[in-house]
Amino acid sequence: MIELDGVTKYFFPGTVNEVKALDNINFKAQDGDFITIIGSNGAGKSTFLKAISGVISVDSGSIKLEGLDMTGFPEHKRAQQIGRIDQDPMASTAGEMTIKENLAMAYMRGKKRRLSHAVNKKRTENFAEVLKDLGLGLESRLEVPVETLSGGQRQAMALLMATIARPKLLLLDEHTAALDPKAARLVMKITRRLVESHGLTTLMITHNMEQALKYGNRLIMMHRGKIILDIGAEEKKDLTVSDLIDKFTATSGSAFDDDRVLLA
Amino acid sequence: MESVIISGLQQGLIYGFMALGVLLTFELLGFPDLSVEGTFPLGAAVTARAVVEGVDPVLAVLMGAAAGGIAGAATGIMHTRLNINNILAGILTATAIYTVMLRTMGRPNTPLLAYDNVFGQVLGWFGLVESHLNTILFLTIIVVIARLLMGWFLSTDLGLAVRATGSNERMIRALGVSTDTMKLLALVISNFLVGLSGALACQAQGFADVGMGIGVLVAAIASVIIGETLFGKGRLNTVLTGVILGSIVYRAVLAVAMQVGLPAEDFKMITAVLVLLALTLPNMKFLGRARSKISGMVKGIKRSRTKSGYSAESIAGQSRGDR
Repeated sequence: MIELDGVTKYFFPGTVNEVKALDNINFKAQDGDFITIIGSNGAGKSTFLKAISGVISVDSGSIKLEGLDMTGFPEHKRAQQIGRIDQDPMASTAGEMTIKENLAMAYMRGKKRRLSHAVNKKRTENFAEVLKDLGLGLESRLEVPVETLSGGQRQAMALLMATIARPKLLLLDEHTAALDPKAARLVMKITRRLVESHGLTTLMITHNMEQALKYGNRLIMMHRGKIILDIGAEEKKDLTVSDLIDKFTATSGSAFDDDRVLLA
Repeated sequence: MESVIISGLQQGLIYGFMALGVLLTFELLGFPDLSVEGTFPLGAAVTARAVVEGVDPVLAVLMGAAAGGIAGAATGIMHTRLNINNILAGILTATAIYTVMLRTMGRPNTPLLAYDNVFGQVLGWFGLVESHLNTILFLTIIVVIARLLMGWFLSTDLGLAVRATGSNERMIRALGVSTDTMKLLALVISNFLVGLSGALACQAQGFADVGMGIGVLVAAIASVIIGETLFGKGRLNTVLTGVILGSIVYRAVLAVAMQVGLPAEDFKMITAVLVLLALTLPNMKFLGRARSKISGMVKGIKRSRTKSGYSAESIAGQSRGDR
């Protein structure tokens, strides 16, 4: 269970450019929740996830994972419990290293890395099996450097790597945004399957409102560093994209200004 | 001619340790570690002092290597804990080492010809006399051991994390690894090897000198580049062996240059030209074909086992293009 209490983050504090990127955020997710996050430009969605993963430090408030206060933990220490993927397909895999080696590194998340052989026979068989489930034929290319894969294949690999060690939390920051529509659909399909089969608590930022409604059991909308809407599973089921826009306008008092948002 | 081969081999093997160390930091970790210009002579200075003090030469050489490793840790701590730029951290270490060497030896150089050396000592254990050939045999064995250990380490969970720190730092941190610790570890291992290289060099030439480190870095980089150019940079195991062979080729070229009577003052120019040639020639077609023949012989068996749609050569080509 992830819990944020009064989390605030300023960018450029004390200057004319001061921005309150996160404004006293109180947030709680139950185990197994799959929460989609939408919001206009500069709403603080990415900052929200980065505050949780420790990529940025917060100015006040606390962040707890399963009751453990990890507000002061460095990024790598939090990463032992948290899997995450960014937009950039290059960012979540080591291109020069093979598929097998990438998976071996991900497999060791949260475990002590010692001097045992990283890709022994048992692990190789295990990796071939999980790759087979992806349905991309990667199981026959274990020895191939990841940089030879397509963007979609790399994001699928990244998903596998983020989930293979069963983290307590999965953070997805528009992980399909840089892909072509076909690859994006495939990656979303894999996302749903992995999240559901492992019962992972997941936070997913998306620009695609349709996607935000279709996936997950809860939806939150952010605006100017605040969570302005929090919609549960029941209400979410019958919601349409235009309902969502109306709700946004009514709550925030401004138009939904995101040129990248997909309304259809 | 015989002396050219012997000298090239012996020097090439001794500097091969350094080439392995430099490969680890410069190539695999992406950390341009300039402390090696200090840790190489430091290894020699510590070994020389220890030998003069009556320490067993084998132990003395290990002390020299350890001193290199400790100095590498100093660079690592400056960079990771104190946030000093990586190049500057190396320069600071190399500068400070100069004083350490003078303090260790008490003077700028120490002659060692009057003392037992590590080669005579170890060969004696096996009832062998210290000859050029036997020395080369001994050096070959330990360089092969170092090469195998390095290959093994880089395929362990820890070694993979070190390589990933060089390949995609953000990604491996997101997998729960402290990249600072990995950098520190790699710098210690690398400078241990460089210190070992310096220690063996002083044993082979019979003296240690605070100026021994001048130009060793570019020589090591030349070895790495020559190795990768001649033997390919696709697979890690090929590269590890390649840089040692590259070191031997480089020293052989220098030995030949000396043989044909080129004055010693020209050697730095030869080194620079050699590095330049090694970096530019692969782009010319005729050499590319020659290389693919050589590496094809080495990798032929492995390639036929790869069931992917990609040939090993096209992957190697791709990774070459990315750098």
